[in-house]
Amino acid sequence: MSEHSFESAAEAVSNSMYPGASAGAEPNRSRWKRVGTVALGGALVAFGLRRRSLGGTVIALVGGALSYRTLSDYLTDAGEMEPVERSITIDKPADELSDLARDPESLERIVGHFADVSAVGDDRYRWSAGGPLARELSWEMESTADESGERLRWETVDDDSMGALFDAWSLSFDSAPGDRGTKVTLEVRFDPPGGTAGSAAVERLDVVPESLVGTALDRFKSLAETGTVPTTEHRPSARGRGDLL
Amino acid sequence: MRALTWHGEKDVRVSEVPRPEIVEPTDAIVEITATAICGSDLHLYNDRMPGMREGDVLGHEPMGEVIEVGDEVESLEVGDRVVVPFTISCGSCWFCEEDLYSLCDNSNPNAEMARKMMGQSPAGLFGYSHLLGGYAGGQAEYLRVPYADVGPIKIESDVSDEEVLFLSDVFPTGYMAAENADIEPEDTVAVWGCGPVGQFAIQSAQMMGANQVIAIDRVPERLEMAGEHGDAETINYEHADVYDRLMSMTGGRGPDRCIDAVGTEAHGTGLDGVSDRVKEGAKLQDDRPYVLREAIKCCRKGGTLSVPGVYLGRANVPFGPLMNKALTVKTGQTHMQRYLDPLLGKIEEDEIDPSFIISHQVGLEDGPEMYQTFNDKEDDCIKVVMTP
Ligand SMILES: [Zn+2]
Ligand SMILES: [Zn+2]
Repeated sequence: MSEHSFESAAEAVSNSMYPGASAGAEPNRSRWKRVGTVALGGALVAFGLRRRSLGGTVIALVGGALSYRTLSDYLTDAGEMEPVERSITIDKPADELSDLARDPESLERIVGHFADVSAVGDDRYRWSAGGPLARELSWEMESTADESGERLRWETVDDDSMGALFDAWSLSFDSAPGDRGTKVTLEVRFDPPGGTAGSAAVERLDVVPESLVGTALDRFKSLAETGTVPTTEHRPSARGRGDLL
Repeated sequence: MRALTWHGEKDVRVSEVPRPEIVEPTDAIVEITATAICGSDLHLYNDRMPGMREGDVLGHEPMGEVIEVGDEVESLEVGDRVVVPFTISCGSCWFCEEDLYSLCDNSNPNAEMARKMMGQSPAGLFGYSHLLGGYAGGQAEYLRVPYADVGPIKIESDVSDEEVLFLSDVFPTGYMAAENADIEPEDTVAVWGCGPVGQFAIQSAQMMGANQVIAIDRVPERLEMAGEHGDAETINYEHADVYDRLMSMTGGRGPDRCIDAVGTEAHGTGLDGVSDRVKEGAKLQDDRPYVLREAIKCCRKGGTLSVPGVYLGRANVPFGPLMNKALTVKTGQTHMQRYLDPLLGKIEEDEIDPSFIISHQVGLEDGPEMYQTFNDKEDDCIKVVMTP
């Protein structure tokens, strides 16, 4: 995949989604072009984080060939950003989903696209970003709210927050419209180390907050509804085995 | 193992790649005995689909023998003979439960990417870009099949591979196209595109009791096939104006049901086609909706437009005529699992023998050459079947 064709693909898609964009209004058009490009790059990078850290750089590079909004674009100079929030509908009862969300093994699968998780005590988990980044990004979170079937919240433990990617991870559960299960909302408050826009640490992270949250919800849903998370691990290609290549 | 892999525009190679293995307990591994090249593979061949990467294994129309199953697979055993549908569906989500299998919520690991581009992600597909899952395809010696209890259909009679292979895509796709057209007994049905999907749409329209079926293409052999096997009247759009011919064949009313079995690869002959090529040259990568425009113009007021043809981006279509003529549009990737049992039944009861569309049978190593031949519409190439 040449970066050129990816770029024009993203452009074609942003045009296809927002036809007004090419109706002659140039400022509008380039704005939508940017949004489309950003979106595609972001999605690629979100699942590229782990790949890159594991040595396979291709997906991250494909994403990186585009301009995209990583964490550093979201942060203000004061290092602040709004929490990122996304929702998904899962066809399971809220209690069952709460159990999954706090079970360390399930949690590990839910966030497997960017982190490893292990229990280190009651209601306390250690999170580490995948691969070499684990050395720099590893932090503990503890439960600060546990209302099963309604709300779960973890916050990063203060005395150990030097390498935390975020400082709060919270889930809320509501009944979905039309009796279609449970609406699950995941809110993540990102708080990267050295967290001001333009800081070297943040620039290097290449994390796309919305994609990271969106993919975590997708994986949560798949695990709950099917017992598995869809994967292309070990996939054969002329690049070798696995989706790391 | 050997597989056909994608390396960019018009560059398909036979590569040695690792053998797939069971990853999830719901997987099966199938040793491929027959696998076809699809018209929609040509979108990849011509590098019009975003999200392909060099080295990806192609193919989404395979069948073969189950050689390994995961611990949780219940409906398949080693030794079973199966056809694998091109859509990957979990069987558990709301969409799968509503029989909308090609819209499965759980089978695309890259759903976030697709969602950014389309708003929501459709199902993952075999061998059809990272945007739609990044799954290795079936133009290979072996294939990993996820959700093995949901996808593959077991073949227990002694029908040949050639007769059942097209359950993997084009027969159900043509059938759903005809079903989506809401055909009633008095109806005239016009089908644009006489490739495999068009041929099956034509035959399915006949099965559904259409009064008259009109086939439109520019390749004489395909039109002949539509007449011979599908009992259709034909129009060669290179020699006749399609609108004029259709109006004269329907007394000025227009066909009641129009099926676009071409999609974005349509070759326009008039000015429309030229301007689409110009835009494409300017890198807008618009779809070329020549058939859609013509079908909207020709369709009877209040009629139905069914679109099994694949579109990838934006199509500049005349929405005003569509609205003012009160047309209904139905489209989508095929909800494969809905059709597998009933259509296998039709094959086993000799109602139809889908092997009539096969024009070339070769080994996998001839795949790259066959892609080119098929793309160039040479050598009367309609459907290529490969045996690994
Ligand atoms: Zn196909
Ligand atoms: Zn599903």
